[in-house]
Amino acid sequence: MKVPLSEKITNFYHQRIKAQIASLLGPSLVWLGLFFVCPLMVMLFYSFARRGEYGGVEYIFGLWNYLQSFDSLYLIIYWRSIWIAALTTIICLFISYPVAYFIALKAKKQWKGVLLILAVVPFWTSFLIRTYAWMMLLRTEGLLNTLLINLHIIDAPLKMLYTDWAVLIGLIYGELPFMILPLYASLEKLDTKLLEAAMDLGANRLATFLKVTVPLTKVGIITGIILVFIPSLGAFVTPDLLGGAKSIMIGNLIQNQFVQRNQPFGASLSFLLTALVLILLWIGLRAGMKVEEK
Amino acid sequence: MLKRTENLPLKIFSSLVYLFLYTPIIILVIFSFNQSKLNVVWQGFTFKWYMVAWQDSAVIQSVRVSLLVALLSTVFSTVLGTLAALALSRYQLRLRTLYDTLFYLPVIIPEIVIGFASVIFFGLIGLRLGLSSIVIGHVAFSVSYVVFVVRARISGMNQTLEEAAMDLGANELQTFFRVTLPLLMPGIISAALLVFTISLDDYVITSFVAGSNATTLPLQIYSMVKTGVTPEVNAISSILLVVTIVLVYLSHQLQQERPPRSAVAILVIAGSLLGMFAIGGATVSNQERQLNLYIWSNYASAEMLKEFEQRYNAKVRVDLYDSNEALLAKLQTGLVDYDLIVPSDYMVSILIKQNLLQPLDKDRLSNLVNLDSRFLSLPFDPENKYSIPYTWGTTGIGYRKDKLNNAVIDSWSALWDEKYRDHISMLDDVRETFGVGLKRQGLSLNTTDANQLAETSRLLKEQKPLVKVYDSATFAELLLSGDAWLAHGYSGQLGKAMSENPNIGYAIPKEGATIWTDNICIPKNAPHADLATLFINFILEPQVSGENTNITAYSTPNKAAKQFIKSEILNNPALFPPDESLKNCEFIKDVGSAIQTYDRYWTEIKSD
Repeated sequence: MKVPLSEKITNFYHQRIKAQIASLLGPSLVWLGLFFVCPLMVMLFYSFARRGEYGGVEYIFGLWNYLQSFDSLYLIIYWRSIWIAALTTIICLFISYPVAYFIALKAKKQWKGVLLILAVVPFWTSFLIRTYAWMMLLRTEGLLNTLLINLHIIDAPLKMLYTDWAVLIGLIYGELPFMILPLYASLEKLDTKLLEAAMDLGANRLATFLKVTVPLTKVGIITGIILVFIPSLGAFVTPDLLGGAKSIMIGNLIQNQFVQRNQPFGASLSFLLTALVLILLWIGLRAGMKVEEK
Repeated sequence: MLKRTENLPLKIFSSLVYLFLYTPIIILVIFSFNQSKLNVVWQGFTFKWYMVAWQDSAVIQSVRVSLLVALLSTVFSTVLGTLAALALSRYQLRLRTLYDTLFYLPVIIPEIVIGFASVIFFGLIGLRLGLSSIVIGHVAFSVSYVVFVVRARISGMNQTLEEAAMDLGANELQTFFRVTLPLLMPGIISAALLVFTISLDDYVITSFVAGSNATTLPLQIYSMVKTGVTPEVNAISSILLVVTIVLVYLSHQLQQERPPRSAVAILVIAGSLLGMFAIGGATVSNQERQLNLYIWSNYASAEMLKEFEQRYNAKVRVDLYDSNEALLAKLQTGLVDYDLIVPSDYMVSILIKQNLLQPLDKDRLSNLVNLDSRFLSLPFDPENKYSIPYTWGTTGIGYRKDKLNNAVIDSWSALWDEKYRDHISMLDDVRETFGVGLKRQGLSLNTTDANQLAETSRLLKEQKPLVKVYDSATFAELLLSGDAWLAHGYSGQLGKAMSENPNIGYAIPKEGATIWTDNICIPKNAPHADLATLFINFILEPQVSGENTNITAYSTPNKAAKQFIKSEILNNPALFPPDESLKNCEFIKDVGSAIQTYDRYWTEIKSD
């Protein structure tokens, strides 16, 4: 059978494109497939298995790990994690919005770049070191207490380190840049003429802010919430170092399963956390898309 | 005029937020120059902590490991990510949503989940934990960041230049290398710098997949923060901060349309220096015999290790663990190459049952005769077939005489005393802490009786509001700094604290306490068991053992070593207690499946 020349050329062209795509995309897909997707699949498999007496894995399958996860004991831990992550997110939002607003709309041009970089630098520095700095500040005989006592503001040292408050401060401090950046990006794009129009039409400053500025920057707000909430939910170093291992979060619970050698239960907890994150992300993205459609 | 005042509150608020962001970092740097060991009072300017850090071989080694890991994972992930970014933005792809999701997921899924999954997977395929497993893990999540950054650069790029090149007769490869790549370069470099810092900083995933010879700087800092908090940590942190800020600055400069030559030059010079430093550490070890030690922190003095290295022309690498359970978890993966480990008594019996230890070659351990027979033939290893005692001690109460107005502490009930609310620290260890509750009721600390455990759990829950912190590592520091007045802890660290501050006392409560030994063992799959045997015989030498005890201040079961031990250590009642105070003490024994009941109650207490 004869194939027309034109078709031959197109075929050849298609194959070439295919080869190009494969050689560009192939290596990273293989890597991620092997060292990211496979581990998750194995973990899913393990989450239905059973713990051996000395911490091995017995290949007997059932739903017990998931049933155990819904024990009231663990529900308290999930609830606390969600609550702390939500509080972190809300406080970050309220702190970041004015700052982003200032950088984007009010700061002088030559200062904008500097202010933005200054907000990002902490994100690049070691997370562990920043947490350690807070340990130094918050100790009973640490800097903050010493300072407050010397200034005669308090008589006896306050209990700060190893409380839920310390965990909250540590998380806010760590996640703040992730809120400032997306807010800045969407405030930067804001058309200030719309604000002037609202004012001209008689809206006061508060009304203009709530009815015009906030709705127009919803995408930034939602992105910021996602970027802060998700890592806070899985936090495990902060509750360990600043919380004194007294009020554990989901992250610590998973880590403990590794140390206590209950891999199947740890695997099921990991999956529940992942599912929670993905559901919240989906809700967030849908909300974001709705805003964009409008 | 009106406008300025209108912005004032906003300005003040923003300044306060920047103050919040920078105060901790600046204070951290300032106190790296402080004379005092405690991070509270300024006692004068010094560079000594930088010298201490520079001479700390564990720190330097971890910097090398970190740099090597970061360089390797940056190279791999930058190449893979850039190629993928080109494919995703230049071609029509049928499965685009799938690819996008795949590249987003590593950033979205919590790190702890990725770490946990990776170590399970590596266990299944038998990949040994070490440098390569860390690099593999880092690349898996770094690729995504490279894809995002490079894609952003491509979408902002002018495609007409490439078309022009093709029109002028360049073929695809020429166009790619002469036009596309140079145009993409700023994006690629800033992606590489981002990935480099992320890898340099990663703790969570690394802590799961690290193995022998692979303690990275974050792992090292974490164990330093948890064990002894000295300004050395501040010094290391300050250096790391400067490095990071230079990287941020460079990345900013390189983002520009025409990056300044100076920035490129600095990057190249810095990169090659770091590379040389990192590889320098890796090659030395190949020429000598190497001993991989997996041990508690402050257990083997640097002097002792150096002497061994010189005498036997070998290299000793040290990795640290902070609980018996963490040790077991790592050994059980079957993926680590340790030659010597120092598990506690009950853990030895678990390791024997799990078939994770190899019998010792006692014919070559001539120095065994130096040991006190009281510490031989203990129930967990009746014939000392697998283990030799290395240190021993008790778990009791350390207390501040000055803060307690010289109250007598001789019973566990002091830890339930309302007067000491918020000044009590307890070990973050299920068996030890349950031991306190059980002993307080006069029960055995190895009980498997469900009712006794329930009652003990109730007691510990009742105690929790009084407890400041559950911590197995820094209790002695907490006592020294005055954060804690009563500290449940090991005699070794507490005895050392006593010599630093005479106001600190140590009590073995009259109800009895835990007595423990930490024992030297050789894991079943140790690659250098022969060298490990030499090492065991070496540390059993009276002088070696005595001098090591003088530095680490842990009680040694080596009777012959006593003549070399300083009298203040030998006379310290916490370290070498009188026999009658030990009469109610018990070893912790493996409780079999009852441990699950313990674990459950423990989680309940901690999440209360």
